Amino acid sequence: MKLLVVEDEALLRHHLYTRLTDCGHVIEAVGNAEEALYQAGQFNHDLAIIDLGLPGMGGLELIRQLRAQGKSFPVLILTARGNWQDKVEGLAAGADDYVVKPFQFEELEARLNALLRRSSGFTQSTIIAGPLTLDINRKQAQLDDSALPLTAYEYRILEYLMLHHQQVVSKERLMEQLYPDDDERDPNVIEVLVGRLRRKLEAANGFKPIDTVRGLGYLFTERCR
Amino acid sequence: MIRSLRVRLILAGGTLSLLFMLGLLPALQSAFSLALRESIEQRLASDVTTLISAAQFDGQQLHMPTLLPDEEFNLPDSRLLGFIYDRNSHLVWQSRATQQSDIHYTPKYDGTGTVFTHIHEVDGVEYFVYDVEVKLLAGRDAAFSFVAVQPVQDYKRIVHGLRERLLLGFGAALVVLLLLLWGGLTWGFRALRRLSIELDEIESGARDSLSEQHPRELLRLTGSLNRLLGSEREHRKRYRDSLGDLAHSLKTPLAVLQGVSEDIARRPQDVEQARVLQSQIERMSQQIGYQLQRASLRKSGLVRHRVPLRPLVGSLTSTLDKVYHDKRVRVVLDIPADAEVPMERNALLEMLGNLLENAYRLCLSEVRISLRDSGQGLELSIEDDGPGVPVDQRARILQRGERLDRQNPGQGIGLAVVKDIVDSYDAHLKLDDSSLGGAAFRVRFRPL
Repeated sequence: MKLLVVEDEALLRHHLYTRLTDCGHVIEAVGNAEEALYQAGQFNHDLAIIDLGLPGMGGLELIRQLRAQGKSFPVLILTARGNWQDKVEGLAAGADDYVVKPFQFEELEARLNALLRRSSGFTQSTIIAGPLTLDINRKQAQLDDSALPLTAYEYRILEYLMLHHQQVVSKERLMEQLYPDDDERDPNVIEVLVGRLRRKLEAANGFKPIDTVRGLGYLFTERCR
Repeated sequence: MIRSLRVRLILAGGTLSLLFMLGLLPALQSAFSLALRESIEQRLASDVTTLISAAQFDGQQLHMPTLLPDEEFNLPDSRLLGFIYDRNSHLVWQSRATQQSDIHYTPKYDGTGTVFTHIHEVDGVEYFVYDVEVKLLAGRDAAFSFVAVQPVQDYKRIVHGLRERLLLGFGAALVVLLLLLWGGLTWGFRALRRLSIELDEIESGARDSLSEQHPRELLRLTGSLNRLLGSEREHRKRYRDSLGDLAHSLKTPLAVLQGVSEDIARRPQDVEQARVLQSQIERMSQQIGYQLQRASLRKSGLVRHRVPLRPLVGSLTSTLDKVYHDKRVRVVLDIPADAEVPMERNALLEMLGNLLENAYRLCLSEVRISLRDSGQGLELSIEDDGPGVPVDQRARILQRGERLDRQNPGQGIGLAVVKDIVDSYDAHLKLDDSSLGGAAFRVRFRPL
């Protein structure tokens, strides 16, 4: 998933960057609201983590402006004060959840996964599509009750396609999920990865949920729940 | 001690007027008696003159006409009596009315002229006596004392009547004076009353400061009060802001440390150190959170806040509905539409936020928020259908920093903050069973 992290404290920002990258997300980490607005205007993010105590334009105003620009990705706020005034105002401004500093990374990750899942319309942390079951928290796939071994990149593509099931997902969008920088991107890599993923799904029981929509991208045809 | 300024002023005014009137009464009375006595003297003098002018002396003897020009001397029951004595104090003539009286006045002819006096007779009756010595024909034998006598009783009656009228008049004047004083004081005190109404409005939060519409004498007081109120408000705001900044500047480094400790924890040989580090970080974070919240949420001095409950509960439940989206908690509100709670907004928000989050976290599917006026004060209840709290653990979980579950580290101060806020408002926090099956936190406010 492609996440936007807005935190002014460089060390904490770095910590979030490395831990979230380790979790398989693509991170855009910035130190102030202006940069965040710029990034949000340039890319499609799946979620933003925003510190309320930003210098200059505060976190609340940033959330309002993002929402005013029509950005509908979930927003998780980080609050140092942890008082209800901040939480209520933050969520009223358009955020979806909060984490109080200092936090354990596992807690942040759990909240984050829940938001990502919820924004795709799922209420459970496991997504089921026919014989395929995806556990978002444990980042594991199962096909017909047996574990399906996937590389990290394959898993991320599968998760993204399943979260956006029955929608056409462009290659560019998938690339954004995998690589943080423009120059590393090569559309052929996506084709290779999707091809491998298809073979793994098909090898097990002939399950073929991923269609290619010519010129547009890929479509996960199976209904997920 | 008399506590009312108005009663004190009325009493002082009344006492002063009374003393003044008591002093004035004898002075007035003696001036009046003097004037009356003088007029009686003049009258008796004119009566004596009538007698003298009517008297005829033929060389040997004094003759008086049967009918005198002054009617009073002719009437048999007249109160005016007339006597004529010769120089040897022998009665020569007496008026008709003297027959019934028993006066033993005997003039002493000494040639000094006129005497005006008053005498006590044996029967206790007092008389005014006017005695004029007259020498006729310059002869030795023709010297007489002409005496007119009038009872003092009439004089006394008039003086007594006057005294009564004076007392009555003064009494009425005193009553009118006190009434006027009362009215004047009411008018004067209306300024204080207005001030008191404005103070009530400030306490109830309807007004920020006292107006300028007060008498000059009070302006210094109201000005000082306004400055005090302003500085208290400013102080609280600055205090809260700097506490917020402090929280931010302490907790962000803690968040960094927490991150570092998690990195350390990934190295198997350092797990133990990382655990110590993390528990210390959590302790520091809890202490900072608890102390800062507690410092910023204490009740303020003068202003008695009242906050409409429904909108505040609404904003909290919509926040928590978002956070606990997947749980789909059913919230039942049993709060009168215009119900208000006697707390400051921020304190109520923190208290309710913490209690409601507890309920959302622990409930199975339902949370109930109700406000009742039990007659012994308002009671705000937050209930859930969760597992509830065993009786023997209830006292402990209301203690500072204690909590039964440790699912969400860093939030264990919630109930301690609630307890602190409740205490600072002189309210009472109780934990018991809910009819929903879970825990019921009840906050009872003191009756106003």
